[in-house]
Amino acid sequence: MADATVQGQGEHGHPGFFTRWFMSTNHKDIGILYLFTSAAAGFIAVLFTVYMRMELMHPGVQYMCQEGARFIADAAAECTPNGHLWNVMITYHGVLMMFFVVIPAMFGGFGNYFMPLHIGAPDMAFPRMNNLSYWLYVAGTSLGIASLLAPGGNGSLTSGLGPGAGVGWVLYPPLTTTAEGGYAMDLAIFAVHMSGASSILGAINMITTFLNMRAPGMTLHKVPLFAWSIFVTAWMILLCLPVLAGAITMLLTDRNFGTTFFSPSGGGDPILYQHILWFFGHPEVYIVIVPGFGIISHVIATFSKKPIFGYLPMVYAMVAIGFLGFIVWAHHMYTVGMSLTQQSYFMLATMTIAVPTGIKVFSWIATMWGGSVEFKTPMLFAIGFVFLFTVGGVTGVVLSQAPVDRVYHDTYYVVAHFHYVMSIGAAFAIFAGVYYWIGKMSGRQYPEWAGKLHFWLMFIGVNLTFFPQHFLGRQGMPRRYVDYPEAFAYWNWFSSIGAFISFASFLFFIGVVFYTLRAGKRVTENNYWNEWADTLEWTLPSPPPEHTFETLPKQSDWDKGHAH
Amino acid sequence: MPYHWVKRSDGAPEQSGASSLEEPIAELHLWPYRSLPREGFVIFIASTCIMLSLPLAGVLGTAILWGLLPFMVAAVAGIWWALARSYRDGALTESLQLWPDRIELIRRAPDRAAQSWRANPYWVEVHVHAQGGPVPHYLTLKGGDREVELGAFLTEQERLALADELRALIAAQR
Repeated sequence: MADATVQGQGEHGHPGFFTRWFMSTNHKDIGILYLFTSAAAGFIAVLFTVYMRMELMHPGVQYMCQEGARFIADAAAECTPNGHLWNVMITYHGVLMMFFVVIPAMFGGFGNYFMPLHIGAPDMAFPRMNNLSYWLYVAGTSLGIASLLAPGGNGSLTSGLGPGAGVGWVLYPPLTTTAEGGYAMDLAIFAVHMSGASSILGAINMITTFLNMRAPGMTLHKVPLFAWSIFVTAWMILLCLPVLAGAITMLLTDRNFGTTFFSPSGGGDPILYQHILWFFGHPEVYIVIVPGFGIISHVIATFSKKPIFGYLPMVYAMVAIGFLGFIVWAHHMYTVGMSLTQQSYFMLATMTIAVPTGIKVFSWIATMWGGSVEFKTPMLFAIGFVFLFTVGGVTGVVLSQAPVDRVYHDTYYVVAHFHYVMSIGAAFAIFAGVYYWIGKMSGRQYPEWAGKLHFWLMFIGVNLTFFPQHFLGRQGMPRRYVDYPEAFAYWNWFSSIGAFISFASFLFFIGVVFYTLRAGKRVTENNYWNEWADTLEWTLPSPPPEHTFETLPKQSDWDKGHAH
Repeated sequence: MPYHWVKRSDGAPEQSGASSLEEPIAELHLWPYRSLPREGFVIFIASTCIMLSLPLAGVLGTAILWGLLPFMVAAVAGIWWALARSYRDGALTESLQLWPDRIELIRRAPDRAAQSWRANPYWVEVHVHAQGGPVPHYLTLKGGDREVELGAFLTEQERLALADELRALIAAQR
């Protein structure tokens, strides 16, 4: 029989630094590890964009030269354009951002830390598997960086175009199967494999935790919106990443074992790869952004001092977006030669997504409407998110039209669209989450003026970067080129200035985070916002103790009858 | 409610003295809370399979099917295993039976032999430890030279309610 253990025998020892951060099975510690690792990967990916925008600031190639990459333009020195380096920058920016930055930050970072807290679970269902997911992610990131440094292009580091694979993040054949001779390509595929395995294990863990470990009384219609967003994301990961894993495994065998899944020479079909890739790729867009929906809902309700407007429509809008995300993939490939009937279907299905998306945007606005809105930094980023996501969503409806897409396909209009909707949109959601929860996670609060300065710099910077790209797209400037004619110079200059401002604000943000962690004002209250921040993490001290909810929370702790 | 009185008689026993009863006069079952009912498991797995079959429909009869299928089967197997394992981890049960002359608690946990405790209810004390226990309002039964825990996995309110019910029940048998 289990004998009684009275006199505090339930106390846990405190692990040392190495044990805590390298062998952790604690969901909060793993969440923090995800956040820092993804920030490091994000910094590298952002550096690439700064270098690319330096190159695009003026027509002609000034920095990416076959004679050697430069950081200071020298008109006197000869410069033969190095398109491979450009392709490599684009590829690794995309691969890092898609697989190693945004998903790990939102799903791995905030999801790990806050989803179990929101549902009153003591930890994830499988803590050791959680640790495995994190280290697979680290291994994947390392493989990605190794791929960047490995022989690519013609397979030579010294006599060729340089290291890295320059095929774009979508890894289309025949570029991947035949044109890329070096093993940089294989390492990149392995990196994506690792990331996929990590995400699938993480998704299985999240789904099990969400479904089976909710606090008593917390029915699916009472679960906080952030926890819902993590569940929807996890389910999407489970459904679409195996498809990607299969596709890139076939790429690998096409490259190395003589199969011809995607090679017409052996009866294969490269267009079929595009279908499979985008069956994963379009849900991936929502995998990136749906956790952001959850964060933004909590932030807006908290700082509007009102319950979220339309809780159930918000939940089912997320589910609907998740479902519709699986049946619209071919709008990424209108130009490959699909029949008119197919194009019509994908047009209509794509436009349908505007309905649940509109429900979310209007519900956020309705939450703010009539509320006592307080413009703290998280709220500024949340409003910024709604603006950016709406702009990106509207241009998405434009691009969903197959005839219009004929014109805009592979132009900077598309670059502007997807950066608005999922890149800077997601980044703003991450920043909102960081400012909203950093006091809870660290026990120290950021200086409000610094957060606001970061917001305004970032908001101006990203809009200056990407809004002019709509004009460039309308002018017909194609994406994925290292150089452009004089006619496109005007807006490219503005876009580059915007990128530099954004980068400066990102550096400032890193400074704010480290200042907060080292010298920020100590948080003494459990809930340092207001009563509308009413999920379970706000009943805990800041930072929360190592172990939380070992005994199940009371329903009165979380069931406020509003703002779930 | 993660505890359930299968049988309960709050009155004094009709027969006193040494018990000749086969059936207990009260029986209580306790188990850890799990939020996903079995129907939910079926709905979730079925929905996952249906969604995963979408991309397969287009590649039936091609070699690509065999490239995708193993990963999809692995995904379904993975989530199935995880949910089943989660149920199994929560398959801990405690069963308390009460006779006029005997109280018996049996605890069954996965991968462990059943543990049991017996005592004479006349001497059994129900303790609620407001402090010092591994959980708030830790509930224990003391008797037969041992003190054993009961329902450590319940919520605080459930433990308090259960303690009152147990005290009343045991008192009624004296």
